[in-house]
Amino acid sequence: MKFIASKKLSDNSVMRSIIIGMLLSLIFAMMLSMTAKGIDYGVSPMQWNAAVLGNEAEFIDPMSFNDLLLGIHADLFGLIITFVLIASVYARMGRSRVIAISFLTLSLLSLLVYPIGMLFSPLLGSTGVSLSLSAFILFHSLMIVGGLDALIGLLRKKF
Amino acid sequence: MNSKILQFIALAFSSLVILQAFLGVVLFGRLVGFSVHDVSVYYGDKSLHGLLEVTLPHTLFISIALMAVLHFLAFIQTIDLKTTKKATCFVFTLFFLDQFSPLLISFGLEFFAILKLFAFIGFQIALLWIWMLLFKQTLTGLK
Repeated sequence: MKFIASKKLSDNSVMRSIIIGMLLSLIFAMMLSMTAKGIDYGVSPMQWNAAVLGNEAEFIDPMSFNDLLLGIHADLFGLIITFVLIASVYARMGRSRVIAISFLTLSLLSLLVYPIGMLFSPLLGSTGVSLSLSAFILFHSLMIVGGLDALIGLLRKKF
Repeated sequence: MNSKILQFIALAFSSLVILQAFLGVVLFGRLVGFSVHDVSVYYGDKSLHGLLEVTLPHTLFISIALMAVLHFLAFIQTIDLKTTKKATCFVFTLFFLDQFSPLLISFGLEFFAILKLFAFIGFQIALLWIWMLLFKQTLTGLK
């Protein structure tokens, strides 16, 4: 992609505007993704547990394994693309090595733990769901913070 | 960046993509099945709306993802331009067959069930091969 190959984004006003637009959209998409998940699954670990594993006291059936797989498959695709786009802009921002590596590693790990926790929730029970929920929130927060950081850097013509 | 950390990041990312492909294969196996008869029955019974619900997001997102994945092939020194072009055409052909065979099956052309099965398996293997190639190159160094 051109923005990976071009040297300084602040010199290229067209690419700069495109990436500002892309970052704004992705940050908005991450917020919407969290909102949608909040509506579907709930906002607390208890609600997530009930949505995935079911709750006999409240007559909530557990989610079928096919629905679980379908949900993860659909989620993961959008999240991988978002990660690739935000990480590729963030990596060239000129942040210190420790910050850049921590950002990439934490984002990737949380993106891996989210589906794995969900997939193993029939075996691990509420631990798997809680792990998944934590990873989901961590990944989205990192993408929003990283995206905003890159956006501010671009607006200030820092890179 | 430290090469060990870079290798870890490449490994984690490859695992993520392989996990996504694996989920797709498991879902296909559970929802459709891996025999020609299963494929023919599953897509034969589906409405056009039901088929489009699956085909539309796949066509849209996978085409973008393929563009992103395939353009990395151009950075691999050991593969010449001709092979990259052939691989690109091959992967896109498998992708189109995989996505559009279900529509033709639902129109009564049951022959496409065999094609769908081969295209699906072929597409997954081709993508996995490309990712492994890219992963290997990331570890040994890009041009």
